[in-house]
Amino acid sequence: MAFAVLTDVVKRYDQKLTVDHVNFSIQEGEIFGLLGPNGAGKSTTISMICGLLKADGGDIVIDGLSVMNQPLEVKKRIGLVPQDLALYENMTAAENVSFFGKLYGLRGKLLKERVEEALAFTGLSDRAKDKPSTFSGGMKRRLNIACSIMHRPKLIIMDEPTVGIDPQSRNHILESVKALNKLGSTVIYTSHYMEEVAAICDRVAIMDKGHIIACGTESELRERVAHEEKIVIKASQITPALIQELGQHPGISRVELSEDTVELYLPSSQSQLQDILFIFAKHEGIIASLNIEEPDLESLFLNLTGRTLRD
Amino acid sequence: MNTWTIMIYELRRLFRSRSMLLNMFLLPLVLIFLLGASLSGVVGVKGAAKIDPVRVAVVNPSGEGAGPSAMIAAFLKLPEVQKVIIPQEAESRQAAESGLRAGKYGYAVIVPGGFDSEVQSGKKAQLEFILGKNRTDNMVAGTAFDNFLSTMNYKQAAVATLGPEALTVSASLPADHEAVKLGDLNNGGRTYTASQFYAASMLLMFLLYSGITVTSSLFSEKDNHTLHRINSMPVKGSELFIGKILGVGIVSIVQCLAIILLSDWLFGVYWGNRPGLLLLFCLLMIIASMTLSIVICLFSKTAASASSIISVITVCMTFLSGGMAPLPDAWVNTIGAVTINHWVLQAVIRMMLHSELSQILPNLLIISIICLVMFSAAIFSYRKVGYHE
Repeated sequence: MAFAVLTDVVKRYDQKLTVDHVNFSIQEGEIFGLLGPNGAGKSTTISMICGLLKADGGDIVIDGLSVMNQPLEVKKRIGLVPQDLALYENMTAAENVSFFGKLYGLRGKLLKERVEEALAFTGLSDRAKDKPSTFSGGMKRRLNIACSIMHRPKLIIMDEPTVGIDPQSRNHILESVKALNKLGSTVIYTSHYMEEVAAICDRVAIMDKGHIIACGTESELRERVAHEEKIVIKASQITPALIQELGQHPGISRVELSEDTVELYLPSSQSQLQDILFIFAKHEGIIASLNIEEPDLESLFLNLTGRTLRD
Repeated sequence: MNTWTIMIYELRRLFRSRSMLLNMFLLPLVLIFLLGASLSGVVGVKGAAKIDPVRVAVVNPSGEGAGPSAMIAAFLKLPEVQKVIIPQEAESRQAAESGLRAGKYGYAVIVPGGFDSEVQSGKKAQLEFILGKNRTDNMVAGTAFDNFLSTMNYKQAAVATLGPEALTVSASLPADHEAVKLGDLNNGGRTYTASQFYAASMLLMFLLYSGITVTSSLFSEKDNHTLHRINSMPVKGSELFIGKILGVGIVSIVQCLAIILLSDWLFGVYWGNRPGLLLLFCLLMIIASMTLSIVICLFSKTAASASSIISVITVCMTFLSGGMAPLPDAWVNTIGAVTINHWVLQAVIRMMLHSELSQILPNLLIISIICLVMFSAAIFSYRKVGYHE
């Protein structure tokens, strides 16, 4: 059963289409990834789902309720973890969670319990009486999450929650997302980090320039580029002539060069490997390492748009 | 309920800010004290000066065939004269001059021998006055003796016209006026001091500055990105907006009460006989300043630009209303009349002076109209622009 359905959703800024007739649906209880480079339209889509922005066209239905017609009812079911830290620095961690809990209608003993629960879930129980100004970046991110989940929302929307934090905190947050999902929440997770999305999401939609360019499970998406392999060669003395000859080889689809790394995209690495080594030897290129990689979401994005996710 | 929650949070946030507490509560009191003390000679109407009695050396010798002047003696014994003159008999002119130089006397009068008979016969009679070192003493004693001479001139004129009997008749008539009477510069009315003036003016200026608090409050939610989060919650935009404005409004009311009560307690500032009306005027001032700030905030892109505009407006209004330094009445009543402060400042001063209610009500009407217009403008701006990131 679809928990969230977006139908022909459109958003314009000054006549420019930021979200262009987007369609996708999210099943109840799944972790849905929204992947795309900066400026792809992910945050705008998220803002429309949360009722922060009005769509210029189409419809968004969450848990059977239209965001356009019943925004307050929809908002009760949603917990947004914003991309930017949204905390009061002059209030303690517990006061922050409590304040936002009150705005979700929690009161008295229930509120107290939920505040303790949210802080425990994010590993901040022992810092409940401290102000966020004394927290590390990762702890602030976790508190940012605690403020969004204390009302046990049916749909948790995480808008790039791991931006600018250390790997340890990132892992903690990713584990939290999985745990929240196991507790019954449907999760929409946006990121431009392909690995994160691949690691936790059941299904992924890839956005670029306001369009959904691909949508499915990770294996379904990989299938679309299964015919293509990537060889990554680190080498020295890479000359333009070497790159030119690699590009002209009939068995190589595309050549990408960045500093001392050459990336080759080709249907089958096995049949072309000898030729590639020969071309390097011919141009006196000294190979330091060579890796044959399986196609991933990055490859798919590159394949579909001709650009990398972090361009 | 959300409005209440947001208002309580806003109060907590504001009262936890040390800079806010200093700016809203301490700074106005310091300014009232400094301006009131340093500009006491420039602003306000001074109370009547106290006049100390002057020690006057009286040389009143016996003349040929006549004793000392009874007229002078009688004049100096008048109770109202004794309030300002302490007669000191001096044996001679030299003794009087010596006493004046030594500071023993403040003034001296030399009565020629046979003064009374000269007056009674309508002949030329002359008193000699010798001034002392103190200007005020000279003025006080001189004024008293001028009055005496006026009476003598009047009697001589009566004698010259009607004959010696006139003097006898006039002497038997009761005095129709006191020889000396100290008047009151304010004709018995109340006055206000520099402290009172600056307390009123600073109170209004800081209430106008509550707009800065509104700005800080509205923009802080944007800067913290908490507005983004709250807008994603089941909270109506109007609930959030009203909650924040109520929070700032309550702090402004507390600030107003603190300034009034502490200035009364610390500096003895008297705020007049209509405390209820005073608070009503302050409340209207808060509404006017907050609604003005809301309009500015909603159309400003940054907190800095909104604060700058509000600061400039506040300072200009305070200056034009005559709240910083006394300005000519013509200026205050023309250009000053376009400011919000003017109407409230004039009303507060009238309350301090115990003016009739009829003199205050027109100001109440005008500030109410200003509030109504500003409130409508704020609602229109909110509907037009909204409050979001």
